[in-house]
Amino acid sequence: MVLFMIPLATPSLDSELIAESRARPDAFAGLFDRYSGMLYRYVSRRLGPEVAEDLVGETFLVAFRRRDRYDLARPDARPWLFGIVSNLVARHHRTEAARYRALTRSPVDGVAESPAERVAEGVSATAVRPLLASALALLSKGDRDVLLLIAWADLSYDEVAQALGIPVGTVRSRLNRARRKVREALGDTHPLRDEE
Amino acid sequence: MDDLTTIRDFGRDLEHEPPAGLARQRRRLLEETSGRGRRASPGPSGRWRRVTGRTGWIALVAVAAVTTALVVIPNVLLRGATTIGSTVSPAWDRPPKNNEALNVLVLGTDYRPPPKGGAPFVQGERSDLMMLVHLPADRKRAMVVSLPRDSMVQIPECRSSDGRTVAAHLGLINQAYSVGGLNCAWKTVEALTGVRVDHALAIRYSGLEKVVDALGGVEVRLPQAVDEPKSKLRLPAGRSSVDGATAVAYARVRNIGDGSDISRIKRNSILLQAMLAKLSRVQEPAALVSLAQVFRESVTADAALDPDTLLGLALDIQQADTQVSYLTVPWQPFDPEPNRIEWKQPEAAQLFARLAGN
Repeated sequence: MVLFMIPLATPSLDSELIAESRARPDAFAGLFDRYSGMLYRYVSRRLGPEVAEDLVGETFLVAFRRRDRYDLARPDARPWLFGIVSNLVARHHRTEAARYRALTRSPVDGVAESPAERVAEGVSATAVRPLLASALALLSKGDRDVLLLIAWADLSYDEVAQALGIPVGTVRSRLNRARRKVREALGDTHPLRDEE
Repeated sequence: MDDLTTIRDFGRDLEHEPPAGLARQRRRLLEETSGRGRRASPGPSGRWRRVTGRTGWIALVAVAAVTTALVVIPNVLLRGATTIGSTVSPAWDRPPKNNEALNVLVLGTDYRPPPKGGAPFVQGERSDLMMLVHLPADRKRAMVVSLPRDSMVQIPECRSSDGRTVAAHLGLINQAYSVGGLNCAWKTVEALTGVRVDHALAIRYSGLEKVVDALGGVEVRLPQAVDEPKSKLRLPAGRSSVDGATAVAYARVRNIGDGSDISRIKRNSILLQAMLAKLSRVQEPAALVSLAQVFRESVTADAALDPDTLLGLALDIQQADTQVSYLTVPWQPFDPEPNRIEWKQPEAAQLFARLAGN
C-alpha cells in the first residue's frame, strides 16, 4: 500500500532516505510513507488492530531516534524496522497470548467466509485455526518471532537474522523447532498435511 | 499444503487494513522530527494528547510562565486551537451507530441581514445548502444526498444561541440552522432521517473560497459560457480552472441554468466533485497536512472533527479513490403550499434506512 505517492525528489533507497534524514529530519517521514502500512498489517495479525496503530507510531519514533546508528550499507530498511517492531511486540506479550487464546475458542474476527469459499477450501482452514492459535501461543518468544517474520512478514533467513540480531544458523534452528511444534499441534487432525 | 502455508493463510485471516488513524502516527513522527515530540508527550494516543493540549492551555493562562508557554504553544497550534472553544456537540438522543460508515452533515451558510419584523430568534446566518455525505466503511463510494432548503419538515425542540428553548414545529429545513445553529440542524437531520450523523460542519462562502485557493484552484466544466455581471462571473464553455472567488460565484449564482434551487444544488455538487478530484492529486504529505489545517480553520464543526480526523479522512479518500454519486432526497410538492416541497415517503425513508445501515 502507498499511503502517500512518493514525491520524485525522494531518494529511492531506504538507506539514502535515512542518510538524508540525518541532515533534514522530516525526510524520515518518507520511511513512514513507505512502510507504515506493511508494518501495520503485520502487527494487526499479531496483536490486533487496537494496539497496532499506536505500536506502528512508536516503531517510527524509536527508529527515528536511532537513525544515526543505522548501517547505511544496508539499502533495505525493512529488517531494521521489523527488528524494532519485534521488540515492541514483546512488550505486549500478554495481549498477544490472550489474542491467540481467544482464537482457540471463537471463529476469526472480521472474516466473512461465504459458504462457497468454505466448500472450496474444504473443512481444513476453519478446523485447524484453533489448533494453530494455541500452538502459536505456546511457542517461546524467540521461536515465534522467527516463525512469524518468515511466514507473515516474508523476510528471508538473512533478513530475520539482521532484524533480531542473531546468526543465520540460529534463525534456521528456531524456525525448525517452531515448525515442528506447530506440526505436532496440528497432529493427525490436520487433514491437508503433507507427508514430509 | 505444508504448515508454513497454513500459517500464512491463518495470518491473512487475522490481518487488518491500515486505518486512517495511521495519519495521526505520521504526525506524531513529524512532531518528533521537528524537535517537539519529546516534550509534547510520549502519550499513547491522539485523544490523550488532545487533552494534554487543553490542560496545557489552561495552565498557560493561569501561570503565564514563559517556560510553560514554550512547551505548550506549538502543541496547541498543532492540535488546532479552533476546536477548543467549539460548542458544537451532540447532546440529545442519537440514532445508533450501526457500522463503520461515516455520515457527515455539510451546510453551506451565508450571512444575510435578518428580515425586519421577522421572528425574533432568527439570526443573520442561514443555511443555503444542506447535504448529507455518506462514506461507506471502505470509503470507495461516497453518496451525497442533498436536502433542499425548501423542504417542509418537523424541526425538533432546539436551544437557540441566546439559551432559549424553541419548541418543535413544522418549518423549512433551513430554519433549523437559524434557530439553533449547527447543533439544531444536526439534531433535526438525525431526527428526520434516523441516520447517525457522525460529524457536522458549516462552511461559509468565504471559507469555501479559502479552501479552494488552498487546493490551488479547481477545474469545472460548463455546458455553456456564463457571463453574469451581478456576480462578476464570466466563464467560457468547457473546462476552466477557477480560483476560490470564482468557484464561489459559480456555486452561489442563481441566474444561470434554470435558476432553480435544484440547479444550484447541481452546481454545488460539481464543485464538490472538482474539489475531491483536486484533493486526490495532492501528493505532498506536508501539503495535505496544511490543507487539513486550512479546512479546519475555514469551517465551523463539531470538536471531534479535528485536523487529525480530517487528515485521516483525506488519506482514506485518496487511497480508496472515492467515487461520488449525488442525489436529492425523493420529494414532491407540499400540498398546502405548492412552492414548498416535502419528502416523498416511503422512498425517502428507504434511502435513509440504507444510509443508516439498517
